[in-house]
Amino acid sequence: MLALMAAVSAQSTASADAPSFFGGRLRLGGEVSGTLGSDDKGFFNYSDYAVSRLRLFRIDLAAELRLASALAVLADVRTDNLETPRVYALYLRVTPWPGRAIDLQAGLVPPVFGAYGRLRYGYDDPLPSLPLVYQYLTVLRYDSVPARAEDLAAQRGRGWLVGYPVGASDPETGLPVVAGERYDTGLQLRVGRAPLSAAVALTQGSLSCPLVHDINDGRQLSGRVAFTPGPALVVGVSAASAEWLSRDVVAAVPAGSSWPSGRRQDALGVDVEWSAGYWIVRGEAVWSRWGLPAVAETLIAEPLPALGAFAEARYKIVPGLYAAARLEHLGFGSIGSALGRQTWDANVSRLEAGLGWEPRRYLLLKASWQHDRRDGGRVRRSDLFAGQVLLWF
Amino acid sequence: MVLRTGVAARALVLPTAVWLLGAPLAGQPPLRRGGTIRGRVELRRQPAETELRPAVTELGSHGPHDLPDRRRSVVYLESAPQPAFAQPQPRRATLDQRNESFVPYVLAITVGSTVDFPNSDRTYHNVFSLSKTKRFDLGRYPRGQSRSVRFEQPGVVRVFCEIHSHMSAWILVFAHPYFATTDAEGRYRIDGVPAGAYTLAAWNDGVVRARREVEVGAEGEPADADFALD
Repeated sequence: MLALMAAVSAQSTASADAPSFFGGRLRLGGEVSGTLGSDDKGFFNYSDYAVSRLRLFRIDLAAELRLASALAVLADVRTDNLETPRVYALYLRVTPWPGRAIDLQAGLVPPVFGAYGRLRYGYDDPLPSLPLVYQYLTVLRYDSVPARAEDLAAQRGRGWLVGYPVGASDPETGLPVVAGERYDTGLQLRVGRAPLSAAVALTQGSLSCPLVHDINDGRQLSGRVAFTPGPALVVGVSAASAEWLSRDVVAAVPAGSSWPSGRRQDALGVDVEWSAGYWIVRGEAVWSRWGLPAVAETLIAEPLPALGAFAEARYKIVPGLYAAARLEHLGFGSIGSALGRQTWDANVSRLEAGLGWEPRRYLLLKASWQHDRRDGGRVRRSDLFAGQVLLWF
Repeated sequence: MVLRTGVAARALVLPTAVWLLGAPLAGQPPLRRGGTIRGRVELRRQPAETELRPAVTELGSHGPHDLPDRRRSVVYLESAPQPAFAQPQPRRATLDQRNESFVPYVLAITVGSTVDFPNSDRTYHNVFSLSKTKRFDLGRYPRGQSRSVRFEQPGVVRVFCEIHSHMSAWILVFAHPYFATTDAEGRYRIDGVPAGAYTLAAWNDGVVRARREVEVGAEGEPADADFALD
């Protein structure tokens, strides 16, 4: 993969063109990024038990193969820390009327919910980290559930390695509110007519747990409507609903248990981007709730809600140099248990600020400081520094 | 590409360097109305079409956009009489942003010239360059607005749009006035060249692809110099 990256990178040179083959039918793009940061003892930036966004070497190669004027195959392959490459996206795009913004995509497709999930390339993210709502690991698992509210409360702030008595028994990582690092499998339709555009998708997984293989016979319905009154402003409203628990864990729920809160993940989102001159300002809020079984006292009788929001700004100071900052919070609803009434996961807040420097085209260097706070868990405060080198073509 | 650009940059900077050293073409008479160099630049290869990067994260296909005219070349004197450097002829030029393309793709100007960058698209553009000759960033501005940049050093300037990575253009800044951009048929014409022997360079899409010697007579007869670029 490295050799391929080097080859295509050499071909692209400093051109604005994507490397292409077969008369332009096959186009490639990609990026290589290396991020080195402080030891994140509180697991604030982990997207997996073993992978921190602040200590990550990533190679990403994207390809588009145009089969016909209305038909293309798109793929994205990625390796993190030189582990076995995995397919991040692989789908068929049908554009029945070229020139009109109507597209049908089928396969492992990009998310329609929200906006940040599609700013996947490092160049689009002014800071080395991902927003909490797209990355932070909550204490929820799709394959293991708490029997009592006390089980849940005992895990507060431990989303990087969490285990429950019902379902899979081994401790594993929890789920983010919206998985920003994985795509879901299914069908999606995009229709655009300025100033409105809309996208709707029917996929296998859920926002928290996008899937390649079905785990519960359920389907996620998600959609987003975007309003773009002018080039400066985009406002989007999103919604999603899906069964999120695996059939194995549902089957493992003891007989006699009830599902008063259902077994779905429902989510609503609002995203805004405004830009002008040297400024880009983005904001996004995601509300979500998850249903769990009521197995034993103290019962989990209500869906578990969470609300995450962030605002970020980027300002170009001089050509090639920018400053950026992001302020965010991820809060959870409260539940009662024998331990008292408290949020079902520990609330987290983050402030991150940094600089980005582009010494030449296709090379971006970022440096940031990040302050995290959490009202539970072993590590409750953390100050982290990170640097990132990003090469793209 | 860096190396290829470097070749072009050296060629363009050379006249200035010679002038600064006080050693332009020795013994040249003061600049006066001179002869013409004309010819045609033939591109034997088909210029590559602009290719968009794979839009894997998008919910649909990218809309149509114009292709840059990469057949345009710039022909110029690599060295010129000293008086030419003392009489810069700055002008005002335009590099439009239209249908997600810079128009023209190649712009040749003299030192001291100002280039306007109007936005003729409904979307934002963000023109910038990180070239050593001129670093600038015009920020995001909408349709109907324009920003300007004055170019005070000779050299090659690569221009990009931060928002649309497939958009790019070249600005060649000369220290003397003896250059021309080819027309749609590849023809060029450089007027007012004082009599003498010169090295003529043909530049296309980031690279000096050919050089040849040319002699401009005192009688004012046009000197023909054609190029065939691979």
